[in-house]
Amino acid sequence: MSSAREQILGTLRSQPGLKVPPLPDVMTSASSDATPIAERIAAFTAILNKLGAPVDVAPDMTAAATRITEVLAQHNASSLALSDADEVLAIAQTLPATIERIPHDAPRESLLRSHAGLSTAQWAIAETGTLALVSRHERHRLSTLLPDLHIALVPASRMLATLGDAFVRIGPNGAPDAPTITFITGPSRTADIELELIVGVHGPKALHVVIVADA
Amino acid sequence: MNTSPSNRKANAFHAQAKNALNDATLKQALRSATDTFAERRSAAIAAVPDWEALREQARLVKDATVARLDHYIEQFADNAEQAGATVHWARDGKEACAIVQKIAEDNGATRLVKSKSMATEEIHLNKALAERALEPVETDLGEWIIQLAGETPSHIIVPAIHMTRDQVGELFVDKLGIPPSNDPKTLCAHARERLRSHFAQADLGISGVNFGVAETGSILILENEGNVRMTTTMPKVHVAVMGIERVIPRFKDLEVFLRLLPRSGTGQHLTTYQSILTGTDSAQDSANGQGPEQVHIVLLDNGRSKIAVDEKMRETLACIRCGACLNACPVYQTVGGHAYGTVYPGPIGAILTPQLAGMHEAKPLPFASSLCGACKDVCPVKIDIPSLLLELRQRAVEGTDHEPATKRSFFESMSWRMWSWFMRGPKRFRFASAMARLGQSMPLVHRLVPPMAAWHSTRELPRLAKRSFRNTYKGPSK
Ligand code: SF4
Repeated sequence: MSSAREQILGTLRSQPGLKVPPLPDVMTSASSDATPIAERIAAFTAILNKLGAPVDVAPDMTAAATRITEVLAQHNASSLALSDADEVLAIAQTLPATIERIPHDAPRESLLRSHAGLSTAQWAIAETGTLALVSRHERHRLSTLLPDLHIALVPASRMLATLGDAFVRIGPNGAPDAPTITFITGPSRTADIELELIVGVHGPKALHVVIVADA
Repeated sequence: MNTSPSNRKANAFHAQAKNALNDATLKQALRSATDTFAERRSAAIAAVPDWEALREQARLVKDATVARLDHYIEQFADNAEQAGATVHWARDGKEACAIVQKIAEDNGATRLVKSKSMATEEIHLNKALAERALEPVETDLGEWIIQLAGETPSHIIVPAIHMTRDQVGELFVDKLGIPPSNDPKTLCAHARERLRSHFAQADLGISGVNFGVAETGSILILENEGNVRMTTTMPKVHVAVMGIERVIPRFKDLEVFLRLLPRSGTGQHLTTYQSILTGTDSAQDSANGQGPEQVHIVLLDNGRSKIAVDEKMRETLACIRCGACLNACPVYQTVGGHAYGTVYPGPIGAILTPQLAGMHEAKPLPFASSLCGACKDVCPVKIDIPSLLLELRQRAVEGTDHEPATKRSFFESMSWRMWSWFMRGPKRFRFASAMARLGQSMPLVHRLVPPMAAWHSTRELPRLAKRSFRNTYKGPSK
């Protein structure tokens, strides 16, 4: 008996006379247009606010650290899971000593009990209010998923206009830039009980984005 | 825990539809849910100026892919293996279930978690695994609710759409021993806590796949809750079950489908999370909990390859399972998903089920439609569902190589022959119209005489005018 693979492919090849329409060129929303960054940030903020996620803009890293400290306090969060991005590791140094810092490769139990997680994003997409995280540049899979609060620190220069602009960057030469790419648009949500929107079913209950002007 | 597969027989559509019609709560829930989705969808697509161009493009891509599915699926498999995944091929559901079971047993996995996947519903994976004491815990909130209730999904996007908050509350009190509540937020908090502990201990995670990219071997999965991310990140083994028609050619084609799917399904610009997973992470990252050590992809045929080489029907495989046609369908809106008695309900179910499972399993389904065309209008990949339904109706009646024809009753074929004879001569036609007017004036005739009686049990015959157009045209009656 032939293998399952051969048999499935055999059936697919059993009618060679059928029409084969051509594959159209890729269609993309990638824009060469230079919408000013400020406009992109405004659009990004409007969409995320609608989804219940606050967005702040900080003029520099010091201001960003202050803002992150305030947000942690607001959420009564005293432990912070960190991704391994340089910006995250650097800013974590400047946070108050009372905040317990949990590295990305800590045992799972400590990640599971951490109150908040801090990451950057490799790209942000104004059109949809989305953060794109690429594992090769930042190990983010658990610190952005397990804690109740996810704080993302995003350099303003990474704010793109459209989904297509993001695909150009996460898939240079048409191949994904890393084994894991995660898009995040707002806090975890469900509408599975009578379509009533509930935030925070499995992933973070809150997402807070701090955009920081580039040095 | 036990998930009983639907024991309702597909060919019991009529009886189940009648039950559903008599269930006022269900009707109310369905109505408001499908209305809400339809409204959100309209609002979301109104904001996309090139919506029609996107639909057109998606369909062209799908058509080109389905026509060369052999090429693209092989390319996908090779590239996924290159990236570190293990690819398995399954001719049917039984084979797919056996593969998943073997992966679990080879790894000594006993605590399984699963995210929502229609393909695994289609092959009744949970039941097969339960026979080996390997039943996975469903982690999508709606799926978990119906697993606790021992039911099956009634909508492909919102599986527990048929349950009210009171019913969910009672279920949780009964099965989880929580204090009484019917507050969705409280119920959800209980679910989060319970399912967290399952995730923390799970040694194997099962997911579906929304899109597989031939060029790179990547899979993309969309969700809102975060349970897909948990399922594909926390256990050391990830098994993705993927229908072979999920493949698309190029990485950059993902963009078009991502712009169409959430807007069509739930009216969101994007769902909360997309995971784009390509093979395995480095050994060190896996060891640090940044992803599973093993990724297995089970490619499921289960009737799809036959559809791909059926020129009239192959557009069925363009479906991206958004659920928009369910929400738009007047039949689905009224009777709900369970009446169909099959895994895939609604318009897409009516064309997919007879082809995947065989017409004998689902003969009434292609007929359970008023052919109003609402499904075709909303479909993001422009599947001409009404035409496909007609083709299936014809096949159901005439039979195919694999399926016997439906026998018409003597009465029915006699009636059609008489109808055709009366229609073919002007005198005969006038005589028949006169008789019909006479019959109509005797109200019980058409309700009691077969075959009119069966037709009349659910419909009203439009009344003929007192005078025919022809007579009116000739002048006033003297
Ligand atoms: S047939 Fe079209 S509308 Fe229906 S689920 Fe499939 S893609 Fe969506």
